[in-house]
Amino acid sequence: MRKVAVIGAGMTKFVRRALETPKELSFEATKAALDSCGLRLEDIECVAHGSAPDAFDGVHQKGEYLADGCGGWNKPTMRVFVGGATGVHAIIHGWYHVASGMFDTCLVVCEEKMSNAMPHAQGFFLTIFDHTTERALQPNLLWIFALEKNRYMQRYGYTKEDMALVAVKNKNQGLKHPASQFKDPVTLEDILNSEVMAYPVNRLDVSPVSDGAAAVVLASEKVAKRLTDKPVWVEGVGWSLDTAYWGTRDLYYPRYTEHAARMAYKMAGIREPHKQINIAEPYDPFGYKALHHMEGLLLSPRGKTVQLLRDGYFDMDGNLPMCPSGGLLGVGNPIAAAGMMKICELFWQLRGEAGERQVPGNPKLGVAQAWGDLMQVSSVVVMGS
Amino acid sequence: MAFLERSTKNTENRYWYPEENTFPVSNRYTTGVAGQRFFGELKDNARITGTRCHSCQVTFVPARMFCERCFARLDDWLDVGSEGTVFSYTVAYVNRDGSAKPEPAIIAAVRVADGILVHRLLGCNAGEVTIGMKVQAVFRPEAERTGSILDISHFRPV
Repeated sequence: MRKVAVIGAGMTKFVRRALETPKELSFEATKAALDSCGLRLEDIECVAHGSAPDAFDGVHQKGEYLADGCGGWNKPTMRVFVGGATGVHAIIHGWYHVASGMFDTCLVVCEEKMSNAMPHAQGFFLTIFDHTTERALQPNLLWIFALEKNRYMQRYGYTKEDMALVAVKNKNQGLKHPASQFKDPVTLEDILNSEVMAYPVNRLDVSPVSDGAAAVVLASEKVAKRLTDKPVWVEGVGWSLDTAYWGTRDLYYPRYTEHAARMAYKMAGIREPHKQINIAEPYDPFGYKALHHMEGLLLSPRGKTVQLLRDGYFDMDGNLPMCPSGGLLGVGNPIAAAGMMKICELFWQLRGEAGERQVPGNPKLGVAQAWGDLMQVSSVVVMGS
Repeated sequence: MAFLERSTKNTENRYWYPEENTFPVSNRYTTGVAGQRFFGELKDNARITGTRCHSCQVTFVPARMFCERCFARLDDWLDVGSEGTVFSYTVAYVNRDGSAKPEPAIIAAVRVADGILVHRLLGCNAGEVTIGMKVQAVFRPEAERTGSILDISHFRPV
């Protein structure tokens, strides 16, 4: 396998409802990524894009529909999707294209337009459940998160307040991101006083519904070194899928995340991730998930994560800054684009270009992770400067 | 494998609309940045517009925001007129539920500038349509136009 670098990144603003069509959103992110490294579309050899279920954009065979907006006209173009994990999985998909030796340049583009759903995108999740054993109870996505969160809290004695600290931290951090959907700071009371949707999940414990797109440009070592003196390398990739019988898993520990992380760390030659990783972008569609994933990523000891959070260990100036982007809670959650936003964040952070959000101390190694399907898949990418 | 239904004749296959599995959500789309202006021109001015990519020498109809070939942002808007030529056509004899149409319907792919509009062709019968024939858009009266592709009622031979 050849070394693969990220050489450019771009994204749209994340918004509640964009006028732009999904193709137009993809174009804006792709164009921004190309412009950031001074490439033109004709310099790109292939496109690897990611977008979650077709239903969100309301176009079946969404991959083919989006292709021209992703720069795929008359090029080898391939879509991947693993639900919520798509955004991080897509760069693994793109990495293969270049690492294999088939291509020297590859665009990786992720897009989601959630606002097309009427009355709410939740409706599209109803048919992800088993049609015979579960759907009769009319479950919704919040239920399964609530069950998992409750199990996690009970296992380690965490409280709703403990979990709400993540939303406070990420939402306020996200205000520094130019693409963020939000402009107002929040307090712990705001989170705890927001409407209970499905105990123990309150409305502000959940990331918003968003439209947006994000993209990066990948290049082989030879091409990357010619185009930039600050390539960010894809050091390790990993992914793992647990059973779709979600009720049979240890809900308090995402073992599949650990498997994916171990695979990525092994490839990156990382033996002690909690000491070697400088920045973590765990997937945070819900506050508790960031902590849950920090444990699965072997970046925090199980059951000690809340204490570390309270001690400032995960602050921007802490030992291991967590979600410097602001995450899905703070920037927004256009599903696949949200995961790709985390990849963009590592790119900017590791090049020292993250502006107001820049993690101090010249970070060298970061990890991004996303999670999806029926709470069962994790994709993990380690990037280094 | 077990069969719950068996059919060996295509004509016996039915459409499947089980009510209990009806999706509880629908979609509300945006027309997009280019679409907003394209459909606004149809509605307000009964005008078909395209955008021109000067480096690729292509005029996209319906108008698009970007050129898929070179990724230029397109801001040169052209009135491409209401006439086009039949690029291809089909004649539909059956409805979506399989029943016979009282009258066959001609559906044409009409070439306008470098783009295509797929639309109904009225004012001639199936035997009279030829590829390459000139056709013209017929607009609905202004009061009936809503900013939809159906603001063009149909095309007719010139």
